[in-house]
Amino acid sequence: MLLTAAACSSGGQQIGQGSTNSGKSSITVDMFYPSPPKAVLAQFTKQTGITVNWVEVGYDDLQTKISSAASSNTYFADATDVDWSRVGEFAKTGWFQPMNQWFNPASLKSDVPQIGTFEVNGKLIGMPFDASFMVTTVNTKDLTAAGAAVPTTLDGLTAALKKLQAHGMAAPLDIHLAAAEGLSTCWYQMTAAYGGQVLSAQDAPQFTAPSSAGYQAIAFMVNAYKSGLVAKGNIQETDYNGLTAEMAKNKVAAELCDYSGSVGSIYDVPSSSSVVNQVEYVPTPGATGAAPNVANPDGIGIPTTARNPAAAATFIKWFTDAKNQAIWAGLDGPSSVISGFPLPMRLSGLELLAKSGKVPQADELETLLRQHAQAPFPQGAPSWYSQFSNAVYTNIHQAAAGQETVQQAVNNIASQVSTLKASG
Amino acid sequence: MTVVQAGAGRRRARHGHLLPWMLVAPLVLFIALLSLYPTAATTVESFFRVSPLDPPTRFNGLANYRALFANSAVTTSWVNTVVYAAVGVVASTILGIAGAVALKRRFRFRGIILALVILPWALPAVDEAVIWNWMYDPNYGVVNSVLHSLHLIGGYHVYLGLDRWLTVVLIEVVQVWQMTPLSFLIILAALQSISPDLYEAAQVDGASAWRMFRRVTLPLIRPAIAVAAVQSLVLSFNVFDQVYVLNGKAPLGSSLMLQTYLTTFQNLDFGGGYALSLLVTLATVLLSAGVIVLIYRKPVAT
Repeated sequence: MLLTAAACSSGGQQIGQGSTNSGKSSITVDMFYPSPPKAVLAQFTKQTGITVNWVEVGYDDLQTKISSAASSNTYFADATDVDWSRVGEFAKTGWFQPMNQWFNPASLKSDVPQIGTFEVNGKLIGMPFDASFMVTTVNTKDLTAAGAAVPTTLDGLTAALKKLQAHGMAAPLDIHLAAAEGLSTCWYQMTAAYGGQVLSAQDAPQFTAPSSAGYQAIAFMVNAYKSGLVAKGNIQETDYNGLTAEMAKNKVAAELCDYSGSVGSIYDVPSSSSVVNQVEYVPTPGATGAAPNVANPDGIGIPTTARNPAAAATFIKWFTDAKNQAIWAGLDGPSSVISGFPLPMRLSGLELLAKSGKVPQADELETLLRQHAQAPFPQGAPSWYSQFSNAVYTNIHQAAAGQETVQQAVNNIASQVSTLKASG
Repeated sequence: MTVVQAGAGRRRARHGHLLPWMLVAPLVLFIALLSLYPTAATTVESFFRVSPLDPPTRFNGLANYRALFANSAVTTSWVNTVVYAAVGVVASTILGIAGAVALKRRFRFRGIILALVILPWALPAVDEAVIWNWMYDPNYGVVNSVLHSLHLIGGYHVYLGLDRWLTVVLIEVVQVWQMTPLSFLIILAALQSISPDLYEAAQVDGASAWRMFRRVTLPLIRPAIAVAAVQSLVLSFNVFDQVYVLNGKAPLGSSLMLQTYLTTFQNLDFGGGYALSLLVTLATVLLSAGVIVLIYRKPVAT
């Protein structure tokens, strides 16, 4: 049905494209986060005269909505999600308006280190609105009980996990191996732990040699699963389920591909966690010491079909303000908190939180973000990222399931990269 | 006077001929606009390279079709989907007939049982898949708990995602569970319309229960079986929800609908998506016609 609708509309009239319609003072914002409290949005309306119609759509559904609406030149929102992984795709398709007229990436770089992820050839495709990055978390209580030190290297991590097993925790490490985006992101993080990146600046595969970081990362993940450090059921486990059903329930004691903010939003929530005040962020255990943290920030952008881009830009400025974000993350106490709000995207906002002491381990996160966060791709996500990611998670999943070897997995991924590069 | 009456009769006859067309016209128009035109557009665009990542749209002959058949994930999905359809149609139809025969006669609590039996059909497919996903869960699932408590398995097993055919079978179980109630209802309605006189006559002739079923019941419910089988075929050939929830995007148990979705909205290859959806439509139509012909023409064994 979607296909036939798309077929009918592919030659259709452009609706609302480039329309600023300054007379209107309402905008539609489609996001995969819950709406901010009405009082918060009312405050924005009072300040600017712009009414916000917030539409919450599930992440996957929103990505489909963006593709189907944008490819048929149909209006659906004035501002919506720009995931870091789709920046290259959006730059090529031209589905989002460059935001340089409202934001200056160069001047924001020092306060928003992840802004480069959203820039392609000088065009700012979206504005990051959080500081999400991959982190390693460990249950320090479990480690202490097992007589294991907090690991600083991957060898140290393996030794600690074996001690945890000997102490009675059957499968102490969580790696989510379901064929889904979270598995691809985890590979990028594990590759960073081994000191590399998966693609070069020219998008050439950097993971086919057994000595490469990417190859070793897949081998580590597959071996951890096959050797029993990771539970057998994880072959079908998605990332969020691993955090809420495994780590938060003390089934595991270490997460290598956790998300910044999980301690405050998941592990330290007494109603749904049995590990309150036990889990800590630690520097990524690398091959020889602390390794980088892969940044996967969420962004917000203005589709080319937006009816009121100027009002949308005003909203985005307000939405990404350092103090506003710090307040919504807990700076002024629970009454102003937006449920599930991620880390503020600006270092200045994170500093406010760290000084307040109201968000668990905000100072540790600030240090990790400032010193270790790096983009997963040096040149930004390629325009064919979705197909690349599909090849990544499919083949790592198959290697873990025993349907292909690690060498076959990396060969298949590399082959897909060649095909995608050849097709442009 | 006679001439006037004859003229009025001809006008009535003409109106009589037009009336059916006038009555079906809105439906025909509705189908033409919402089905035939998009199908025609899909057919045409399946021969074009249509991708926002590779503009402009241009004619590329059979390249979309060739690419589909060279794609191992798509060919795996073809095989999986044929298995889903074949097993789904046979299992849901046999179970539907068995259930309808068992529940044809009135007895105490029949109404409650009927309500329970049709419940899987009434639930959204995604909800059902989530429920079954929990049942299959290797850590907390009831399947492992039951088998373990009965000492049929030593440790907890992983059911989905490791073995292709086990994954396909377990997804099929969920699908059959959902499709069977509608088959059951269609066949039950047909069963209840059979005159009891026919069974009385057969009994007088000394026919056994099995012979009555084969010589009286089965021939008379054949049209209902055909309808039930075709609806099962369409549902199972277009399976998406259960596959997506239980198997994710992994190629192991992937279906053609899932591949159509991935080709179109993940890869943004709209031309490939049009081609694949057209092939799925053609296969569904041809197989449905085959099922109808098979059920109507195959003589009932005596």
